[in-house]
Amino acid sequence: MASNRTQYNNLTPAQPLDKKTLNKMVWRSLNLQASFNYERMQAAGWLYCILPGLEKIHADDKEDLETSMQHNLEFFNTHPFLVTFVMGIVLSLEQQKADINTIRAVRVAAMGPLGGIGDAIFWFTLVPITAGITSNMAINGSLAGPILFLVIFNVVQFAVRFWLMNWSYKLGSKAIELLTANAKEFTRAASMLGVFIVGALTSNYGGTTISLEIANGESPIVIQSILDGVLPKLIPLTLTLLLFYLMKKKGWKPVACIGLLLVIGLVGALVGLF
Amino acid sequence: MEFNAIQIILVGVWAFIVAIDQFDLLESLYQPIVSGAVIGAILGDLPTGLVVGGTYQLMTIGNMPVGGAQPPNAVIGGIMATVFAVSSGLDTTAAVGLAVPFALIGQYMVTLLFTAMSPVMSVADKMAEKGDTKGIVRLNYLAMGALGLLFAVVCIAGLIGGSALGNTLDKLSQDFAWIMNGLGAAGGMMRFVGFATLLRIMLSNDLWGIYFAGFALATIIGFIPELSGSALILIAFVGIAISLNDFQTRVAIKKNAGSANGGEEDGI
Repeated sequence: MASNRTQYNNLTPAQPLDKKTLNKMVWRSLNLQASFNYERMQAAGWLYCILPGLEKIHADDKEDLETSMQHNLEFFNTHPFLVTFVMGIVLSLEQQKADINTIRAVRVAAMGPLGGIGDAIFWFTLVPITAGITSNMAINGSLAGPILFLVIFNVVQFAVRFWLMNWSYKLGSKAIELLTANAKEFTRAASMLGVFIVGALTSNYGGTTISLEIANGESPIVIQSILDGVLPKLIPLTLTLLLFYLMKKKGWKPVACIGLLLVIGLVGALVGLF
Repeated sequence: MEFNAIQIILVGVWAFIVAIDQFDLLESLYQPIVSGAVIGAILGDLPTGLVVGGTYQLMTIGNMPVGGAQPPNAVIGGIMATVFAVSSGLDTTAAVGLAVPFALIGQYMVTLLFTAMSPVMSVADKMAEKGDTKGIVRLNYLAMGALGLLFAVVCIAGLIGGSALGNTLDKLSQDFAWIMNGLGAAGGMMRFVGFATLLRIMLSNDLWGIYFAGFALATIIGFIPELSGSALILIAFVGIAISLNDFQTRVAIKKNAGSANGGEEDGI
């Protein structure tokens, strides 16, 4: 569970990360989704990706490293090919020992919008065009088809990964100088943006619907459409607020919440709820 | 057509690699156009591999793994379609058809692993509390290895069992469809645990309105199909406007308060 600390012990900015460490993390960023799961999605993979940087930044204070590792294990999901943008910004904040709430808020605010951009660039543009051309080469018996596909896709992918990492790390370092003067106000504004994004994700990522129908002759009553009439995405919102309540007020651990959802899912499937 | 032991092992190794590659590594080796050619080469029939891979690739272009949705797994689909095309001399469409039960099992494997990895996050929490960096690295590699092994087993079984096994799997997956349906539904809900954890920390009492505003805007934009790709960018614009305004207002208040204390300038 995340610790409740809001500041690092050692508030002296660490040495800026060298190019070698940044590049090492770009390579690690390939495996962002290694431990993907339904609860926190890429969280543990994200921590794995930025660990070389965190170890350098918090080398002189073990407790700070532990704190940083804990808050970087919270829910994380972004586009795998654009993740180095978030990495650069977050690492520059970590290096400047920014307020932990600020780092968390910036992380959440940056990860959300990248998904749509990445899908548009890679899955809707690059892959269809490249694969469309090279597939026809392959169908005509040319080995150049698959090779060309791999080369084009990966040249673009690696160029984007390396460039974003270096660019956003510099960007973050510059921005922080402007913001330290009003750190408290900035943290509040960043938290606002973070909460706003989590509210949006609740609706945008929340796809839970029920397929329960009450038999009524020719026109069965569809429960989901009644719920949609009350408030679309009512189920995702209710579940999020329920889990929030269970964790905040009742002290439930995430594992217990997962267990509850598994039971709801399986029992629900058995009785035809889903 | 019988395959020799070396071919079976090589297909298993390739399945292991591309199973991981569908989410990690280069995220491009797994594409049917590449995978088909490699499997064709392993089975001694590269031309067929190229044709099946290319054709299957064109079939999947409209079916990208966007936004975390899981289509019947194209990784295993591509491998098994090539296997059946080479072994039975079928055309691509028929071979892809025979591969469907295996692709479905592949999809189930992914669902099972993503479900099983959710409680493992608490183990990761313990590691983070102790600053166990090696443990985090190991956990990630183990998860990748588990996914690779599951897929390798399915593909090797398919290579040995052939389309007869496909029929058995088809029946099996129908019998257990409700379990996978339930796990899928639970999996879709588990992200709310992640959101609730974030809110537990970030949501101070005066920010409830902001949370509901974000929810409302996303829900409204969600009803406009043309904006499905750009929804979160647009939402971020509005969020930035609100928070930037708050930032500027508070900085201005702070400055004015400072000058008021000085007593020399009028507040604006």
